[in-house]
Amino acid sequence: MKTRRFLAQAPIYLFLILGLVVVAYPFFFMLMNSVKPGMEILHYPNHLPTRISWLGYIRVFRELNLLRLFANTLFVSGTVTILSVLCNAMVGYALAKLRFPGRNALFTLMLATMMIPSVLLLVPSYMMMYRWGWVDTYLPLILPAAVSAFNIFLIRQFVGEIPDAYLEAARLDGATEWQLFWRIILPMSGPVLSTVAILTFMAAWNDLFGPLLWLRDEKLFTLQLALQRFEGTIPGQFAEERWAATTLVTLPVVFVYLLLQRSFIKAFTNVGLK
Amino acid sequence: MGRSLRLNQEARWGLIFALPWIVAFLVFTAYPILLAVKMSYLDINLLQVEKARFVGFDNWVRAVQDPVFWKALFNVVYNQAIFISLSFVVAMVFAALLKEIRYGGTFFRTMYFLPVVTSVTVAMLIFKFIADPQGPIQQSLIEMGLLEKPVFWTFSKWLPMPILAIFNTWKWFGVQLLIFLGGMLSINPEILEAAAVDGAGAWTRFRRITLPLLRPQIIFVLTMNLINGLQMFTEVFLTFDLYGGPYGSGLTPVLYIYTKGFTEMEMGYAATLGLFLAAIIFVAQQLQSRILTRQTAGE
Repeated sequence: MKTRRFLAQAPIYLFLILGLVVVAYPFFFMLMNSVKPGMEILHYPNHLPTRISWLGYIRVFRELNLLRLFANTLFVSGTVTILSVLCNAMVGYALAKLRFPGRNALFTLMLATMMIPSVLLLVPSYMMMYRWGWVDTYLPLILPAAVSAFNIFLIRQFVGEIPDAYLEAARLDGATEWQLFWRIILPMSGPVLSTVAILTFMAAWNDLFGPLLWLRDEKLFTLQLALQRFEGTIPGQFAEERWAATTLVTLPVVFVYLLLQRSFIKAFTNVGLK
Repeated sequence: MGRSLRLNQEARWGLIFALPWIVAFLVFTAYPILLAVKMSYLDINLLQVEKARFVGFDNWVRAVQDPVFWKALFNVVYNQAIFISLSFVVAMVFAALLKEIRYGGTFFRTMYFLPVVTSVTVAMLIFKFIADPQGPIQQSLIEMGLLEKPVFWTFSKWLPMPILAIFNTWKWFGVQLLIFLGGMLSINPEILEAAAVDGAGAWTRFRRITLPLLRPQIIFVLTMNLINGLQMFTEVFLTFDLYGGPYGSGLTPVLYIYTKGFTEMEMGYAATLGLFLAAIIFVAQQLQSRILTRQTAGE
């Protein structure tokens, strides 16, 4: 019975595996070329390597200051994520649980801002921050991304479900509003906060447009920007290094993703349910 | 007395907690929008702000008549028409199949999601090589006799947008799949079983039960696609020059705004184009939600 059922599903599995090949092939192509000798990359890009060469990985550290790039990217994404979780949770909590004048108007306005396409803000924000001397600093990458109407909305929905009884009991015990937030709301909002953290961190880590606009000094470059610049150099030059660099940029992301796979999937599912 | 005191305190704390958003909204949203409106009436260069000149509606007249902008807008619409339908079908098919199988569902789902977590930069750099005339796809097609000679698609008039739509389907179908699958799993299986007992085939069940019940998920996906898709930048920036290739077939509105504002330094005109594009996206959103809600009301 069991085997018959499995056999009936065989065509489905075949189709799913076909999809898997299509999804995985580009990653395989990258890995394969990253361990090929330079001449083979240029002349036989589609064939398996005849011998393994680690030259690309060794040389890429000479061409790119990878450690610094990783540190920069981690700094920017980490700061954005911490600020984002904290600020959005504060606002989400206020909108869900605290009664203050203008709360509903504020919430409506916030929902309306979600409809504003970011391209509208691009040019004027640049003008504004250029005059503030923010070009070539991380401020434009961090501060505007730290507060997001969408994340606040997610958190508000979640915090709204926390029973008021917890808050009332703590208030009777003399807890201040900040303590309520820090000791009750934050610890109880783990799932939604991890969703916000993952979405924010991923967006910041993978962003090319922001760093491209704001960063001029190579010392401040992030991974994505450095990779794009590296690509822009003479074609054919750095054939080995480019594939090694692409692999090194991708592997940590894939590793973290596989490690936190459940939370990633949940983060994106949460987004879809709203 | 004690109650109103607490309410007062609660109101004060409420405002304090809401402060991050209020400040961010004023500084990073409200002020830039006002500035954009102001800039749209100016001929202004970033490096010589003091030489800004009031030009009235010149920027607006120019924007509405700019053939390059319309070409760029046409390109993204062309791209989205293909991307939205293709990714919809692919995601729906794989979601439906994943729902059927008993073993390995998590494994497949995890793997299909891999392109989503990869950066557009990395994915595009790999894809450029794979879709290259020397790359594996074209070479295999030639070997199989399906393709006569290599296609230099980045230099062609009509191919860039469909090929980027295929790339983006590869990159993003995992998210849509997840959303559709979530919706499918929340459908009461008894409804489907009852329909099967009544003799409804798999396709009829999908068409008459699953699809209508997935409406919220479908609306969400379509709305997200519209907002993101019309603002495409990184994919074309990495593939073409600042003008979208020899025929402008790789130009998107945001790439055009970037080129105008940040390399040709026409900030006033670029701000106008930003407002114009935002208005177009807004109208498209309204139209879309009208159509979608009317359909809901009709059934």
